[in-house]
Amino acid sequence: MKKVSSAVKKETLYIAVWVTFLSALLQSCFLITASWDISVLLGNILSGGVSVLNFFLMGLTVQKAVEKDEKDAKNTIKTSQSLRMLMIFVFAAVCVALPWFNTWSILIPLLFPRVAIMFRPLFDKKENRKDSGV
Amino acid sequence: MEIAISIILGCCALGAGICMGIGAVGPGIGEGNAVSKACEAIGRQPESKGSVTSTMIMGCAIAETTGIYSLVVAILLIFVAPGMFVELLKSAL
Repeated sequence: MKKVSSAVKKETLYIAVWVTFLSALLQSCFLITASWDISVLLGNILSGGVSVLNFFLMGLTVQKAVEKDEKDAKNTIKTSQSLRMLMIFVFAAVCVALPWFNTWSILIPLLFPRVAIMFRPLFDKKENRKDSGV
Repeated sequence: MEIAISIILGCCALGAGICMGIGAVGPGIGEGNAVSKACEAIGRQPESKGSVTSTMIMGCAIAETTGIYSLVVAILLIFVAPGMFVELLKSAL
């Protein structure tokens, strides 16, 4: 098995931290609106885990793809994307159909990595400032 | 009444299918193109592999969000919307 590159580890950790933070925020929103129950927590934990797993698998695929030639890389990414999308679809469909999970707490955390990336430039700016000593 | 419910269910299923069909193809093509260009860049400058990989991962995640949006909409159309629309229809009649 190939070693996971430091870039993949770093980015996955960044996403995992943000997903945890946003999940806590989502739970508090449910608590404030008095619609919290155990199904919300279960759904959120499971869905947050799947969104981080999806990101990690995508990172692994990119790591693998950049070592191949252009055409192979394109095909690898397309195949991986389809399989990951299928995985998320099956997961979401099964969880929404089951009564133990709240529908919204299953669907909302799937979008958390996008929110994490949206805030990424702020941290990059800070790091750049540190590096330049400003 | 039954015909109306059937039409609602059919439209929801059709909408979900179209949503997933179009929504999942775009990110696949986009990610593929981006990664092939990244390979080209790494081929030209092998020392930039780390930073290119890092940027690529974030870029791919952004591209994939469109697919996940469509997936969420499709799931809602399959599992949530039919019940809601049927309830609306029943209350209207």
